[in-house]
Amino acid sequence: MKKKTIGTVWLAGCSGCHMSLLDIDERMLEVLKLADIVKSPIVDGKEFPEVDIALVEGAVGSEEHLDEILHIRAKAKIVVSFGDCAVSGNVSSMRNYLKTQEVLARSYEEAESNDSKQIPNAAEILSLSHRVHPLHEVVDIDYYIPGCPPSADTIFYVLNELLNDRVPDLAVIGGPKHG
Amino acid sequence: MKPPFPIEIDGKVIQVTEGQTVLEVCQANGIDIPVMCHFEGLPDVGACRLCLVELKGVPKLLPACTLRVAPNQVINTQTEKIKKYRKMIVEALFCERDHVCAICVANGNCELQDLAKKVGVDHMRFPDILQPLELDASHPYFVIDHNRCIMCTRCVRVCAEVEGAHNFDIKNRSYKVRIISDFNQPWGESKTCTSCGKCVAVCPVGALWSKSSYQGKIEKKKEAICDLIRKRKVNV
Repeated sequence: MKKKTIGTVWLAGCSGCHMSLLDIDERMLEVLKLADIVKSPIVDGKEFPEVDIALVEGAVGSEEHLDEILHIRAKAKIVVSFGDCAVSGNVSSMRNYLKTQEVLARSYEEAESNDSKQIPNAAEILSLSHRVHPLHEVVDIDYYIPGCPPSADTIFYVLNELLNDRVPDLAVIGGPKHG
Repeated sequence: MKPPFPIEIDGKVIQVTEGQTVLEVCQANGIDIPVMCHFEGLPDVGACRLCLVELKGVPKLLPACTLRVAPNQVINTQTEKIKKYRKMIVEALFCERDHVCAICVANGNCELQDLAKKVGVDHMRFPDILQPLELDASHPYFVIDHNRCIMCTRCVRVCAEVEGAHNFDIKNRSYKVRIISDFNQPWGESKTCTSCGKCVAVCPVGALWSKSSYQGKIEKKKEAICDLIRKRKVNV
């Protein structure tokens, strides 16, 4: 069997799901027997390549995220919505109750840690979208792993099933757990 | 003692007596039906619709908690149609108000979370309504966060029927429906609330909590309330 390729990315998330991915510990060796991780923010920063499986953490909260997820959907055979922010918006989407300008004002102008009290005019700062969306509101999603973060066991179960050409069914491991 | 008669549930013939609900019969016979607004000992109202069952000859689905048994009933509880609706109802409960599990006092101790697990809700197909609601922290010991309320009305019933205070009630309908204290006043100004905490104990989610709890640390003493109701019934 030809080795599969895995790509991972985080959008509007906290990277906690990736930390949980690393928590699969020595089982990572079993994953690496069946697949190469060709792209991940914990590896490098190149453009998202063509992959068999894409694990996407985080919600779509800016124009950059939107471009990225559309790009990933075009490049990946299987897109997995990875963690609560990707699945339901979760903490990332709590700003949906506020206007974008209010969010920026609280984060920069009123922020205790920001001495300049100004919103920086820098290209690195994402152009926040009016509303934060879970991934499936923007692109088609093949599988969902809810959880904040999903447990390492859940992540390994789903990866192992996908890498062995089986369909993961979360009911087998007790059902999908949000939060 | 009324004479028992048979009804059919999921192809199984079960002896029942008049006055029983279909949910009681199912629970006594090991037939698993998910419930949310039902609470042992409190009067059932059929608010959440999770216990919907199919009654042969009736085109719509009926809630098992308020459906009384009657002769010749043929009931199905686990059809594909019912499973489809159960999943949809749980998704709708998640979407109607703000249910961010990660920051909730009830995280890990929540009946809505457990239900999502049970019926297999891995994502919500409907968009959030996004209506920011009030959080009333005027009571000295307790908080009610309407954003997390799923309108099961257990708090209303336990306050009226068990504590006898009837501090809580309901206003409006549809998505504007809210739990109110007294005549829609801040909870802290309530003349009827006895601060007994029974509402907090029966709340299935993180809508009612004690000010001493924080994220994921709520303690719900549901069994204590069930016990109290059982003992009172025996004594009466």
